[in-house]
Amino acid sequence: MSEWVLIVDDEAMIRENLKAYLEDEGLKVATFEAVTPALSWLRAGGTCRVCIMDMRLSDMDGNSAIRILRQSYPEMEFLIHTGSSSYNLPEDLRSMGLDDDRVYHKPLCDMAPLAAAVRVLAARWGGGA
Amino acid sequence: MPLPCPSSITPSSPPSSIPQRHGWSRRFYLGLALAAIISTVIATALDPFSYHEILLDHWFGPVGQQTGGFIVMLRHAVWLLIPLGVVTVAALLWSWVLGQQVAQRTRQLQQELHERRQAEAALRESETRFRDITEAASDWIWEMDEQLRFTHLSERFYALTGIAPQYVIGRARWDLAAVDVAANAQKWRQHREMLEKHLPFRDFVYQTQVGSSYGQDRFLKINGKPIYDSGGQFLGYRGTGTDITEQLKAEAALRESEVRLRRIIDLVPHMIFAKDRHGHFLLANRATADAYGLTVDELVNRSHSIVHGMEDEVARMLTDDLEVIETGNSKFIAEETFTDHAGHTRTLQTIKIPFLEPGSNEIAALGVAIDITEQKRAKEEVARMRLYLKNIIDSMPSVLIGVDPWGYITVLNQPAEQVSGVSWEAAQGRFFGDVFPQLEGQFEQVRQAIRLGRTIKTPRMTLDAQGELHYADVMVYPLMADGGRGAVIRMDDVTARVRIESMMVQTEKMLSVGGLAAGMAHEINNPLGVILQGCQNTLRRIDPAMPQNRAVAAAIGIDLDRLHRYLEQRQILHFLAGIREAGIRAAKIVSDMLSFSRRSETHFGLVDLEEMLETVLRLAVSDYDLKKKYDFKRIAIQRDYDPTLRMVHCDKTKIEQVILNLLKNAAQAMAEEGVPAPTIILRTRREAEYTLIEVLDNGPGMDEKTLKRIFEPFFTTKDVGVGTGLGLSVSYFIVTEQHNGRLSVTSKPGQGACFSIRLPLIREALP
Repeated sequence: MSEWVLIVDDEAMIRENLKAYLEDEGLKVATFEAVTPALSWLRAGGTCRVCIMDMRLSDMDGNSAIRILRQSYPEMEFLIHTGSSSYNLPEDLRSMGLDDDRVYHKPLCDMAPLAAAVRVLAARWGGGA
Repeated sequence: MPLPCPSSITPSSPPSSIPQRHGWSRRFYLGLALAAIISTVIATALDPFSYHEILLDHWFGPVGQQTGGFIVMLRHAVWLLIPLGVVTVAALLWSWVLGQQVAQRTRQLQQELHERRQAEAALRESETRFRDITEAASDWIWEMDEQLRFTHLSERFYALTGIAPQYVIGRARWDLAAVDVAANAQKWRQHREMLEKHLPFRDFVYQTQVGSSYGQDRFLKINGKPIYDSGGQFLGYRGTGTDITEQLKAEAALRESEVRLRRIIDLVPHMIFAKDRHGHFLLANRATADAYGLTVDELVNRSHSIVHGMEDEVARMLTDDLEVIETGNSKFIAEETFTDHAGHTRTLQTIKIPFLEPGSNEIAALGVAIDITEQKRAKEEVARMRLYLKNIIDSMPSVLIGVDPWGYITVLNQPAEQVSGVSWEAAQGRFFGDVFPQLEGQFEQVRQAIRLGRTIKTPRMTLDAQGELHYADVMVYPLMADGGRGAVIRMDDVTARVRIESMMVQTEKMLSVGGLAAGMAHEINNPLGVILQGCQNTLRRIDPAMPQNRAVAAAIGIDLDRLHRYLEQRQILHFLAGIREAGIRAAKIVSDMLSFSRRSETHFGLVDLEEMLETVLRLAVSDYDLKKKYDFKRIAIQRDYDPTLRMVHCDKTKIEQVILNLLKNAAQAMAEEGVPAPTIILRTRREAEYTLIEVLDNGPGMDEKTLKRIFEPFFTTKDVGVGTGLGLSVSYFIVTEQHNGRLSVTSKPGQGACFSIRLPLIREALP
């Protein structure tokens, strides 16, 4: 499996816990504390099927990051992992095919459903290719 | 004034005339007797027929030779004695008769003397009386000679007029009244002619200026008649006079006074009038005349029925007049209608009194009528206003109690009557503390309000109404109006408002909690995520079943199974589980706190109420906590559903959450207390504006202190760690804020609890 799962989250331990769990699940994971280094990594040739995106980030908000990434990498799928309980999925993101099932609220008591979702999305991407 | 002429002073006839007549016949008979006696004496003395011899012989025996001289002498002596005796008797008789006559005459004389004395005394008395009268009377006597000059004036004249005699005696009347003569030549000419013709005259009034000590003119009135001597020769005039100056002055004053009085009664705005028994006006003032549209002169002497067109009014007034005239009692007519000439109906208050018209012996009715139309209208207006004000104060929802400065009730409005159960009439004059025992303590405020002249407020006074706590705002307003010192106590039941306010405080608290939670949720959720995810990863990575773990352990030479046993024995796995549970609970608290937000999503729809309740009951039975800690199946569930209620508009998940929470609380409370037959009643009812869902239990109930705080966030009666302290407050928030409904609880220690959820029937009432 050469494709990466991208995790963008400003909380280091959240990144690391998710990475650990997904790696245990056999996934390749790249983590970034902000959108800019993630973009740099992608432009440097990094490839990614699924991105787990936090909403509150130091350089921009998650919604904008998804829009930017979708523009450059239309095949990329997104899961939203937010600490804000009042988060509502914007309409334009919904039109990109995102729905409430893609939104995961922190804290995650169990990461298994998230990992399952990543697998499903990765498989779809793979299937589409 | 004619002079008195007592008849007693003129002797009418001689008082002895009748006894004289008697004396005359007696003398006649006496003379006759005397003549008989004398003739008898003469006959006897001469005795031509010698009867004496026969008689003497008869007595002494015949004279013979033997008869002595003595006897003869005795015979002659006897014979002489007979006529002598007869003469003596006659003389005695005569003298007796004469004596009788003298005595009678003396008596007559004495009587005459006496009568004359009496007559003289009467004359003297009459004279004195006459003098006294002339002296005492305002009149005087005057006399003129044939030249018509004053010869005599009685003292009275000088005394009365103050005119000295020297100005009068010897002068003619017209000399004394020169000014008046000049002024009234005609009058004086006639008077003079009359005197010159020697005619009597009466009541001649003239003015004199002479010698008056008062320095002013005197008015004199005189009567006079000519006097003649026995031969019919004119001697002059004699008469009486009166000084009428004062009388004229009085008359003038009277006239003036009458004019003044007239002005006054014309000035009086009330109607003053007098009418006779036929309804004719004898007297009327201007106000009366105005009422009939006439002048006073036009009205007086005219009939009421002619000047006043309203027949029924005329008839009624005449009846009243007649009543007064007939009974002689005054009559007060408190109100009567009267239509004036302009057709305006006026209300009069009339008093009528019997009145004797001067110069007439007929009784009339004197009336004074006051126009009380305006007064009556004002009175009616006052009554109407009073009623209006009463209606106003009655329509006030506040309890209003008017009291005097001593706390005695003067006014109650309807709410006050309802609260006290005492009517205004019954409460009047009673101490307000007796009628409103809950306000008894306000007496000091009443006194203070009156003393200081300002409102005294007692907000949120607690009242115990049949065991329920009520709140009232009490205000005491001083009454400062003239003549009406006192105060008004106003009491408003603010229980509902206080409750709403406390609920609002509650809601505010929750909202602030919600706001706080929303702000910090992100910050807390991240560390919680670290804790929970960290826990999960830790547990996964020490799990011997996981091949990656085994590979790493083998590489560093650790027996993973043994390590796991170690972790188990040292309870490390247990601690990790504890961390995980604590993290989950913390996450739940945050999520509960976040539901105190108006922004939280709601999903409203029509929900079958019974179905929903059954769902909740199924959830309760299968609830993990309930299953583990409290055997929900042990609890008897009674369903008391209103069959008319089916669909309710609500957020199904949220209301399910609320009801489940209530069921959990009830089960928990009953289990803790060890209630022998725990029962929960689920009841639904349709109210006017709400759907009512009640959850009743027979658990331990709550005291008032707990009830007060039951919906407060973080308030809990449960042991630490058992509840979040947010369950009921979240329920409260869901019902009141998100559904615009009401959540309330009634309970008493030992008597279970009843939670009532009220959801609006009308969809529009939703926020």
